[in-house]
Amino acid sequence: MEKLLNELSSECQPAYGVECDVAINAQVPENLKRSIPLGLPSIAENDLLRHFTNLSRKNYALSTVFYPLGSCTMKYNPLINERIAGNDAFNNVHPYQPIETMQGVLEVMYELEKDLCEVAGMDTFSLQQAAGAHGEFAGLLVIAEYFKSIKQKRRKIIVPDSAHGTNPASAAFAGFEIVPLKSEPDGSVSLDKLKEVLTPEVAAMMLTVPNTLGIFEKSIDEVSKLVHDNGSLLYYDGANLNAVMGIVRPGDMGFDVMHINLHKTFSTPHGGGGPGSGPIGVKSFLEPFLPVPRVEKKKDKYVLNYKKSKSIGKLKAFFGNFPVILKAYAYVKALGGKGLKNVSEQAVLNANYMLAKFKDKVDVPAGDRCMHEFVLSPKTLLKNDIRTIDIAKRLLDYGYYAPTIYFPLIVDEAIMIEPTETESKETLDKFVNVVNKIILEESCQEPQKLKDAPINAPVRRLNEVEAARKPILKWE
Amino acid sequence: MNIPQDLLYTKTHEWVKIEGNKVKVGITDFAQHEITDVVHVELPEIGRDVKKEHPAAVIESVKSAFDIYAPVSGKIIETNNKVLGSPELVNSSPYEKGYLFAIEFSNEKELGDLLKADDYKKLI
Amino acid sequence: MDYTSQNQKDKKQMLESIGVGNIDELFKSIPNHLKAKDLNISGGKTEQELLNYFLNIASKNKKLISFRGAGIYDHFIPSLVGEVVGRSEFWTAYTPYQAEASQGTLQVVFEYQSLICALTGMDTSNASLYDGATAAAEAALLALRVSSKNRILISSGVHPEYIQTVRTYLANSKAKIEIIPLSGNGRLDKKTVDSLIDDNTAVVVIQSPNYFGVVEDMDSLSSAIKSKNSLFVAIVNPLSLGVFKSPREYNADIAVGEGQVLGSSMSAGGATFGFMAVKKSLEWKMPGRIVGQTTDRDGKRGFVLTLQSREQHIRREKATSNICTNASLNALAACVFLSGWGNAGFSNLAETNISKARYAFTKIKSLDGFKAKFENETFFNEFVIETSKNIKKINKVLLKNNILGPLDLSNAGDGFKNCLLFCVTEQRTEAEIDSLVELLAKI
Repeated sequence: MEKLLNELSSECQPAYGVECDVAINAQVPENLKRSIPLGLPSIAENDLLRHFTNLSRKNYALSTVFYPLGSCTMKYNPLINERIAGNDAFNNVHPYQPIETMQGVLEVMYELEKDLCEVAGMDTFSLQQAAGAHGEFAGLLVIAEYFKSIKQKRRKIIVPDSAHGTNPASAAFAGFEIVPLKSEPDGSVSLDKLKEVLTPEVAAMMLTVPNTLGIFEKSIDEVSKLVHDNGSLLYYDGANLNAVMGIVRPGDMGFDVMHINLHKTFSTPHGGGGPGSGPIGVKSFLEPFLPVPRVEKKKDKYVLNYKKSKSIGKLKAFFGNFPVILKAYAYVKALGGKGLKNVSEQAVLNANYMLAKFKDKVDVPAGDRCMHEFVLSPKTLLKNDIRTIDIAKRLLDYGYYAPTIYFPLIVDEAIMIEPTETESKETLDKFVNVVNKIILEESCQEPQKLKDAPINAPVRRLNEVEAARKPILKWE
Repeated sequence: MNIPQDLLYTKTHEWVKIEGNKVKVGITDFAQHEITDVVHVELPEIGRDVKKEHPAAVIESVKSAFDIYAPVSGKIIETNNKVLGSPELVNSSPYEKGYLFAIEFSNEKELGDLLKADDYKKLI
Repeated sequence: MDYTSQNQKDKKQMLESIGVGNIDELFKSIPNHLKAKDLNISGGKTEQELLNYFLNIASKNKKLISFRGAGIYDHFIPSLVGEVVGRSEFWTAYTPYQAEASQGTLQVVFEYQSLICALTGMDTSNASLYDGATAAAEAALLALRVSSKNRILISSGVHPEYIQTVRTYLANSKAKIEIIPLSGNGRLDKKTVDSLIDDNTAVVVIQSPNYFGVVEDMDSLSSAIKSKNSLFVAIVNPLSLGVFKSPREYNADIAVGEGQVLGSSMSAGGATFGFMAVKKSLEWKMPGRIVGQTTDRDGKRGFVLTLQSREQHIRREKATSNICTNASLNALAACVFLSGWGNAGFSNLAETNISKARYAFTKIKSLDGFKAKFENETFFNEFVIETSKNIKKINKVLLKNNILGPLDLSNAGDGFKNCLLFCVTEQRTEAEIDSLVELLAKI
């Protein structure tokens, strides 16, 4: 067990210090002065380095294990991108420095926007949003402003029940009312049910293509036509874009607004949960509503344009998560158009290969072909009160991070697997064998092994009920 | 499954105990079992008007949150604040220590829509 | 370079296992008329080519000695921060869904929450938010959720981009936003605040030190807010808390702020993180991830994501926010940053900022054509100077000497014509300050 920082704290010389080369002159009036202790630990650098290094080793990370998290696209994060983003010539730029002294920053943003347009078939992009959910929120605000501008009261957003939780949350956050749409068993849209909910109040429909069961929306043409005939817009959740780069473009399918997760499709690291980046792309009629500032090119100079009277405003301070944007751009320049297409082909090949090895053994609710990910439902195989959570925990014992579980909500005991294109055949083979062994052999013959799992992880199964009932949220 | 005969029930798994012009409300043994370990309860403010079949409270487990509906319309006149600090009472004693709130009902007729114990048993 | 690892033999075998002849067959479900043409995107660069390509782009940014702040600051980042944040076990991990396999990240976040609580004095911190501006907006939303009122008062001393972000976040809500003007001394006047709060005011949002560098008298403002039963959101610079009163001491309900100053580089304004800490009574209403301590089956201490039923993956449209993750890696930087100073060292860091800013302030205001805008106010590391000189010329001359000069406040409202916002952190040496002053003197 690794100690906590407050337990490591001692009277030692702390790791950092600063020298003031002018006279200390820091008296402040009593009524403004802090009078309670700071409560910060005092720890030597050597001990801090060990502490954090040891903590890092308690993580299963992409750099140590296979991470088949469905819908998260845990692909290899190229080291060269980190090296490029580590350059002080990017890191030391102040957001308010004169634009002629930050042309490199603006060039990266401008050029990435352009390349994302090409991948997505959209007319323009905004890079300001800090995450996928932030992008969804921005996209929905753009939709709201658009309808305000044409004086239509449309307060509803259709969200399929197979969608990511962020979809309804973002729509509610943007002030919309949610109309849930029941999906077909393979997660695809039922046109009849869609017709029933497409009322004049519907502003937009949010759709993930391929859907969260890994299936391409076969009636996308009809869906697009129905939605647009209703005067509504179509929103593309880009979480699964890794399946279709260079194969089919959201803009060409009829989507009006979309977001991309740079930390999924464009290989930027997840960082243990951020920072990410959620650019949004729109068709040209929605461009006036995008957040400010916009990066523009005038002759050979990049400029920032804040003067957009119809803009939804700002989604965060400054321009966006620039280092993430930079890494994504480096990725695009490594791959180019051809490389990006190859990525999607390989991702889909890897997923189908795994699926082929599972499909005769474990239930696959969406059929035996998929795009870049697929969902298993081991429900009928599980005896002895074994559940999906137990399989997930057992996988940790075998040195894998667990797939996404219990999502999408429409599949019982769901196990959602996304291999990505950067995993080798050998890795996939080994993983499939382990999963099949756990489900088909261990769960029947040695169920206690699953119930006891994990035994090889840094801790055994943790008590989440007590954590929530009697919350301890900081050092005591 | 413990379904006391002397209480009334809703289809959404609340139990109701009539006491004069008010009703006490909680969730059934069946419901607490389905929810699993209750970790948090949000109760309505005293004095709030509630409408029949509209959400009045929220019960949360580690991985889910459930709306608890007012079985009848009226005003919240009492809440069981003990479940705030000890949410496990909803599991261990759903009909007694783990009750949620009391409503002073505004329309006596609505009481007629509630289910008798035997009908509720058939439902689950 | 496309970072895939299958060779042709593997591919052939895989296609055979699937039972298709070629990869195109896997995309059969996509209608032909929708299939994309070849993407017109340049690329295909090797690692070496990429490095040179981006060195060339980087050279188009100019390295400057910064006397500019206004929300993003040039502070010292200890080597340990880079070493820890650079560990791939941290940066290539994902959100800690599987707690047992994510104890590193989870304990770090728990420590981060503890450190933010120590600094602010508040009871509960979340795992961080996107940045200071979104943290302010989320704080306003939190206040609206717990209050039945819908009016929000925001100090005009709050960073303008934060105010814009709050407006964006609340655009489609029922909330009404009003701005509280600053008084002539560059800070809020208690009487003005008092007179603007009505029965329908859910929350008052105040920043200190404010956008113009002035430290607000949070104590007296707080009593005005509390007497009307409104909630109090304090936006604070965490480094300033080494010297100045913490949000708990003036009874703030929610403390938020920008975390860049705690170990993240400026990076053109992002990626950074926002922090949020609240009173205990508000913890179940907080947005974002929260990590809690618990025990495993053997009774060993461990950490999990907790109070999760607030969140989008469970509550969907009823969640407290749509936020899915935090800014974990920047919160990690803050955790490493805050661990190594000790109380005295951290106070000394804050005092060094104050001292250097005062040193510069005293020299600049005594120059011909420059005077203090708010002579008797207390500031941290930023201050406003009014000048009779041409501001464009000032910054042009400074830039020629590789100095990023003060921010031109001409657009910051009526009172700030001919005003400059200077920032002096611990990074600026006495010699750099002296040469700035010399250059200003010659203009």
